[in-house]
Amino acid sequence: MAQPPIIELHGITKRFPGVLALDNVSFSVYPGEVHAVLGENGAGKSTLMNILAGDLQPDSGTIVYQGREQVIPSPLVAQRLGISVVYQELALCNNLTVAENISLSLVANRSALSFVRRGQFADHAREVMKRLGLSNVDPRQSVGKLSVAQQQMVEIAKALSMKATVLILDEPNSALTIEETDHLFTVLRQLQADGVAIIYVSHRLEEVVQIADRITVMRDGRHIDTKPNDDSVTVESLITKMVGRSITHFRRHARPSGGESQPALEVEQLRSGSIRGVSFRIHRGEIVGIAGLPDSGKDELVECIFGLRPSEGAVRVNGVVAPIKSPVAAINAGLALIPADRRGAGAMLVMSVEENTVVSSLKAVSRLGMLRRPAMRDLTRTYVKKLDTRIASQRQKMWTLSGGNQQKVILGRGLATEPSILLLHEPTRGIDVGAKAEIYDILQRLAKDGVTILIVSSELPELISQCDRILVMHQGRLTGHFDHDEANEEAILACAMGQATHRAVAQT
Amino acid sequence: MANLGVADTPRTTSGGQGRIRRALSAREAGVFVALILMCAFLAVSTDAFLSSRNLLNVGRQISLLGIMAVGMTFVLIAAEVDLSVGSTYALSGLMTGILIVQQWALLPAILVGLALGGLVGFLNGVLSTYGKLPSFITTLGMMSIVRGVALLITNGEPVTVNASSGANGDTLSQFFWIGQGSLFGQIPMQLVFFIVIAFLGWIVLSFTTFGFRVYAVGGGLKAARVSGIKVFSVKIWAFIIMGVLSGLAGILSLAFLPSGQAGRTGVGLELDVIAATIVGGASLSGGEGTMLGTILGVLIIGVLRNGLILLGISPFWQTTIIGLVIIVAVAIDKWTTSRRAG
Repeated sequence: MAQPPIIELHGITKRFPGVLALDNVSFSVYPGEVHAVLGENGAGKSTLMNILAGDLQPDSGTIVYQGREQVIPSPLVAQRLGISVVYQELALCNNLTVAENISLSLVANRSALSFVRRGQFADHAREVMKRLGLSNVDPRQSVGKLSVAQQQMVEIAKALSMKATVLILDEPNSALTIEETDHLFTVLRQLQADGVAIIYVSHRLEEVVQIADRITVMRDGRHIDTKPNDDSVTVESLITKMVGRSITHFRRHARPSGGESQPALEVEQLRSGSIRGVSFRIHRGEIVGIAGLPDSGKDELVECIFGLRPSEGAVRVNGVVAPIKSPVAAINAGLALIPADRRGAGAMLVMSVEENTVVSSLKAVSRLGMLRRPAMRDLTRTYVKKLDTRIASQRQKMWTLSGGNQQKVILGRGLATEPSILLLHEPTRGIDVGAKAEIYDILQRLAKDGVTILIVSSELPELISQCDRILVMHQGRLTGHFDHDEANEEAILACAMGQATHRAVAQT
Repeated sequence: MANLGVADTPRTTSGGQGRIRRALSAREAGVFVALILMCAFLAVSTDAFLSSRNLLNVGRQISLLGIMAVGMTFVLIAAEVDLSVGSTYALSGLMTGILIVQQWALLPAILVGLALGGLVGFLNGVLSTYGKLPSFITTLGMMSIVRGVALLITNGEPVTVNASSGANGDTLSQFFWIGQGSLFGQIPMQLVFFIVIAFLGWIVLSFTTFGFRVYAVGGGLKAARVSGIKVFSVKIWAFIIMGVLSGLAGILSLAFLPSGQAGRTGVGLELDVIAATIVGGASLSGGEGTMLGTILGVLIIGVLRNGLILLGISPFWQTTIIGLVIIVAVAIDKWTTSRRAG
């Protein structure tokens, strides 16, 4: 790098009550590079990004920006300096149009009484969007009606309209499909060529290896390493650095196939909205994955099976027709769902670990409608132990836990109902690598114990490494059916995009 | 979102347990300390405050508010709100009064009043769940509708329950005993009702699966649904409890002061009830609150009113000060406990 760095961090330290969030962190970011920052939850990357964005102040250490020592006291100052952040949870005004959102920054710095010229907005927005290749989005459309991927692009457009020289992307692709991620990467490459420095925070290591020029790894608030992304960098080597130990069990244990026994879950000609007739069977102890793009209907499918969405067709559990019209009926039929939206539909954040664990098993922990506290405690202890959930106390509120531990509590809730079929919807979204490996381990153990598992996921590596079979959906129909040994990303993707089919008719 | 997100909160250290425990009870402890300080101050600065007569009087004055606050605790924890309780209080009381005047026996007259309260609650519940309306709107509308019905059935005239209005003498004496009598010659019956209701409310909220479900529904509606809780049914029952308790309070009120008028009785009461419950720690966003907290909140409001009167402070100041207490109680809570980011 011949150019001087645009940002140099020197000895950044930040302490929160009881925790050292950042411990003497130093590294530099250069213009025109994609600089990935990796680390497990709690490694300090978000704290660091918040400091760069002006949301937090370091306790000690200095930031040198464009060669000069710089204090960033507020987000507004960060913006003026040219540092823009696109957060994982998008910060758009859903009621405003695309053009208005992109042009908000033009308004933010003006006096409250100045007039707003909408025509200028549209021109400005169109110009920025053109640069991003966003020609398919109408600037007059309201943002709330766009897909998550499009919203993300609007966020980036907004950042660019503020003339960003440093663009921070915090977990940009946790909700994007492969296709959309590809588009994002194309855009990032363009920005890079224009000399924008991109700081890229992500959990998806495969993609980091693909896009990053240099990679910084953090662990427990400390800077571990900053290295060019050359051929020596592999996903495994990154994981080892992030976790501080090597994780080998990402791979599924070999298991004999289902055999001739009666299927545990049979779905026959399921129809609902965008789902146009889906049939499949899963045998006891099998792990089956469902892949597909966001509009494929795979997300609706799992909601239909669990009774969260009305549907037509038949669902049979262990050979018995289960008329599943509600989650209550689903649970009674022996199903459990780990929902995709962990914070919205999974965790009850203001409630305790214990309450979150027993909520689906109230009958088991009560007598004549009266709760039995000891039974609640015991049930919780059992599943905390079984899943190795790291908590300080069973009375601890759910919001104090990391994403991985929250997910384990929710998994424990499902398992406490002793389901014969476990439905998992994006089970490791936004969860750090360590916890992810543990959850995979748990799933394999459960399958061995005879639990039937259906995983609906957007992460192909997850499905390929964990599932005995993978079904692929495209536009509400099954277009692919892969055994573990024949599954690969290219072939699955081709089916997901409707360009090929694979044994789709032979649905065993 | 721009703050330190929950997902990335540094790992809880082992010292975190004590802090979490403390945060749990902080609100109740705070309200309790405030109450003790107020009582201590009044005990020193006035002669009358500590007399048993005055304390029992405070107890009676807070009873009706308290009974309704018990119901409001369920509604707020379920992440809903009920603005119609003042109107229900009027309708149920007046209805029971009218029936007594028409020579009904006491029990059926009271049951009709309570059932009417339950019906209002049921309608609030159904409209706020299956009807997909926010309960603020549903109950705002119902506040007006129920008040209107009360005006219609009384024709806007005052309802007075006494012998000259035609009520049966035995029924009357029973009715007045409920409102004006006392247990062991000391404890006002209204206070007895409040104590019993608060105790039952505490049992139901803290020790039954229904209470658990109320917390779950308020703590995360979608999560509760996915977990197999019939979320609509839980909410509807919370509204029904609220409605029946409003009705009970209204009936007790008429039994104490045997005259009421549809245009005046219980006007604005809903705000007092919500205020007491909020001071006690229930949150408008649901999932949080306890029966003990609510009782403390009701006591704070009661002692405050009584104290201001004993100190000879203008009633205009009372209104102002109670408003301040609501804001200060919630503000202290928000500013001292670190909560979820976002």
